[in-house]
Amino acid sequence: MSTTATTRPIGDYTAKDYKSDLKPIWCPGCGDFGVVQAIYRALANIGRPPHEIAFVSGIGCSSRIPGYTTAYGFNTVHGRALPIAQGIKLANPDLLVLVAGGDGDGFSIGGGHVAHAIRRNIDLTYIVMDNQIYGLTKGQLSPTSRRGLISVTSSLGSMEAPVNPLLYVLGYGAEFVAQGTPADMNGLAKVIEEGIRFPGFAFINVQSPCVTYGLEDQQLKAQKSLMQTLESLNHDSSNSLAAMELAQQYGEKLYTGVFYRKGTPSPTFEGSARARQQALGAGTRARAQVMDLFKLKK
Amino acid sequence: MNTDLVIGMAGSGGDGIVAAGESLLTAAAIEGYHGVLTKSFGPQIRGGESSFRLRLSTTKMLNTGGTLDIAVALNWDDFLRFGGELPVDGHTTVLYDSITKVPTDQIPLVGVQPFEVIAVPIEQMARETGGSERAKNTVVLGLMAGWLGIAREPMMAGIRKRLAKKEADVIDKAVKAFHAGFEYAEAHPLTSDRKMAPPSKSGAKFVVDGNDLCAAAAIVAGCDFFAGYPITPSTEIMQFLTREIWKYGGTVMQAEDEIAGVGAVVGASFAGKKAMTATSGPGMSLKTEMLGLATIAELPLVCVNVQRGGPSTGIPTKSEQSDLLQAAFSAHGDVIRPVLAPISAEDMYGITIEAFNIAEQYQSPVIILSDQEVGQRKETAEPIDASHQHIINRRVPGPQELEKYVRFRFTESGISPISHPGMPKGNYLASGIEHNEAGAPTANGEMHARMNEKRLRKFRPLLDRRDLFIIDGPPDAPIALISWGSVAGVAIEALQIAQRQGMKVKLLVPKLMFPVSEAIYADFFLSVKRGLVVEQNHQAQLFRLMRMYVDVPRGIQTLAKSGSNPITPLEVVDRLNQITLALQQGKDREPSEV
Repeated sequence: MSTTATTRPIGDYTAKDYKSDLKPIWCPGCGDFGVVQAIYRALANIGRPPHEIAFVSGIGCSSRIPGYTTAYGFNTVHGRALPIAQGIKLANPDLLVLVAGGDGDGFSIGGGHVAHAIRRNIDLTYIVMDNQIYGLTKGQLSPTSRRGLISVTSSLGSMEAPVNPLLYVLGYGAEFVAQGTPADMNGLAKVIEEGIRFPGFAFINVQSPCVTYGLEDQQLKAQKSLMQTLESLNHDSSNSLAAMELAQQYGEKLYTGVFYRKGTPSPTFEGSARARQQALGAGTRARAQVMDLFKLKK
Repeated sequence: MNTDLVIGMAGSGGDGIVAAGESLLTAAAIEGYHGVLTKSFGPQIRGGESSFRLRLSTTKMLNTGGTLDIAVALNWDDFLRFGGELPVDGHTTVLYDSITKVPTDQIPLVGVQPFEVIAVPIEQMARETGGSERAKNTVVLGLMAGWLGIAREPMMAGIRKRLAKKEADVIDKAVKAFHAGFEYAEAHPLTSDRKMAPPSKSGAKFVVDGNDLCAAAAIVAGCDFFAGYPITPSTEIMQFLTREIWKYGGTVMQAEDEIAGVGAVVGASFAGKKAMTATSGPGMSLKTEMLGLATIAELPLVCVNVQRGGPSTGIPTKSEQSDLLQAAFSAHGDVIRPVLAPISAEDMYGITIEAFNIAEQYQSPVIILSDQEVGQRKETAEPIDASHQHIINRRVPGPQELEKYVRFRFTESGISPISHPGMPKGNYLASGIEHNEAGAPTANGEMHARMNEKRLRKFRPLLDRRDLFIIDGPPDAPIALISWGSVAGVAIEALQIAQRQGMKVKLLVPKLMFPVSEAIYADFFLSVKRGLVVEQNHQAQLFRLMRMYVDVPRGIQTLAKSGSNPITPLEVVDRLNQITLALQQGKDREPSEV
């Protein structure tokens, strides 16, 4: 069905229009409160009516987020938000499709899907709330936990290096890569909005601290003194090598803003699919015609 | 004159065995014969062994028969690798290439004395006429045209058509190779009568295989999205759709793995489109969690499992029916997922349409439990007119329901109108987590019980779907014959033979495998004292499934064998004879245990 029907003129939406009646179950002080606020603000600036938005998540504290919006939400299974979101966008390219989840969802159980979402370049915005810990299951090691971390599943200290989400997605060729933190709400809302506006797969890593199981130096208060905008470093966001250089500092420095935005974005999968459908005359023939292929050819 | 002939041929991968089988089937079909063609391969990608079984008949048959009437061995090593797939007995005519230098009285078929054995200079004729050994299959086609007395003209036309883009010289050589075979057959008549009787005038008009037909039927049913991962023996479904679906406005995504394949399909369904994925056993294992999500989120989708030998990698290229219990029970939680099984390639059309209709009506994943035989064999079929196909679409909420939309509203039928992104006022949260009527997450035990009840109750009307069962034979017959999937075609023929022999047998073939309709089975078993369940798996999975839900008579036995050796109609008739005898003697044998 066409999704152009809008209940109000574009530009007439406020953050409140995207906030649902469900009360978040997050711990008081959780970074995810800031993330959902930033998403409301970004969506209000973009102005698409909530029914034209599909918001998909996996499993984890952060994956509760679609339920706290008025969009069509889909709280799926652990690690599989990206494949499901891709199916949604390919089925109806007119929708605005957001994907959110935690670092475990995106870089552990679902890590294999990230590369392929990037390579297909389907126009999704993937927001990872990276807290370096498993909060929902009460404090286990996550794929982005720092080496040596003591947790309930690494009680003598982790022996593994963390995944670097920024380098991971840059390495696979993501064309929009940014980082933000709820410690800077304006900056966070801005990169989310830019990610949504980017015509292709966009990745936003959010340093969203776990107030219950996180470390002291990861909390919002500490972040405020650590963070540095990429703008202030005069980073050229069209330079992918410079972006990779800066992304190396993940875990050491807290850079915020756009690491990389490809100057000339590649074609999207859904765009190419539409072109192919049109070229092959979609909509001009009855479905029953497909049976002609089985006729005996004399 | 014969009304029914089974031909088997084996050689190495480069010999064009399958092309020969397909040419013979197509040419015979053009003349009006019915045919069923199965192909079988070794695991190699190039080279290795390759074979076909082709049953040609003047009436419709749904299986490839029993022992071969004509066996063709281009070399003996490859022929013997197929063992029981190409069985030879005392009535078989055996042809082989004389280049093998095996004397006719020393062919390596242990314990079998075929009716006649003929060494034919196949490769020599190919080299002399076609210029290379690659023309061997064309020589064999000429031999068949001569000895069977059929399809000479259409085969010639087929050869010209297949080589149309080649140089005149190439076509000329192929025609010569065909003639060489034909003339050899004319000059060397067989001792046995292998001529085919004339076909009935109204011959079949289609040649189909189950995988292609499944894909085409999906398009007819309204499928707009397919995502899947290549896996033998189901991949032809995706390959067909990648060629065709765009023309009807649809999209195919080759996923990075089986989970992503079904995941994208779940997403497309959430977005309001009809969607399908296809796989085989290992992929089904991987897709299981996602099917559970579709169940609890009440999203329609179709998942095809073209079964192969299992467990694990098993025998990827060969047929088996050993995933029935997996299809019925592999979910965690309290779940019904309808499972439909086609009995032939032709049947795949109706089953696929039905699968989409049931999925849409009941907002649920539906599994099509096909098998390699149904998926990859070629059959002649009656023309299918899809222009007036009955199609069911999911019920979407009307304007009044949207005024205060509640996605999972408790209704009398258990089915709640479903919106999709893009529909104003239909906004809701879909989730794998238990939810209340409005879609909000809940851990409340009472709500969970009510939601389970809703999600299970909605399938009740399926239990009355007698049209999803084949029931044949006298209703008061004391002996039951039960089978499913591709093996049902064997049982259908066995029933005809048994009835001709005067046995009091009736047949039940479920196409709706799950949920199990207790009433339909109970009705059928009313008159039954003894019987036989025939299936291609080791554990007698349908027999076990029936016993879980139905009061199965004690005298029901099983004929259950692992793939890929075919179960033959005569084997089934033999068992029915024993059962008839035991019934007449009043012996009360316990049902066999596997």
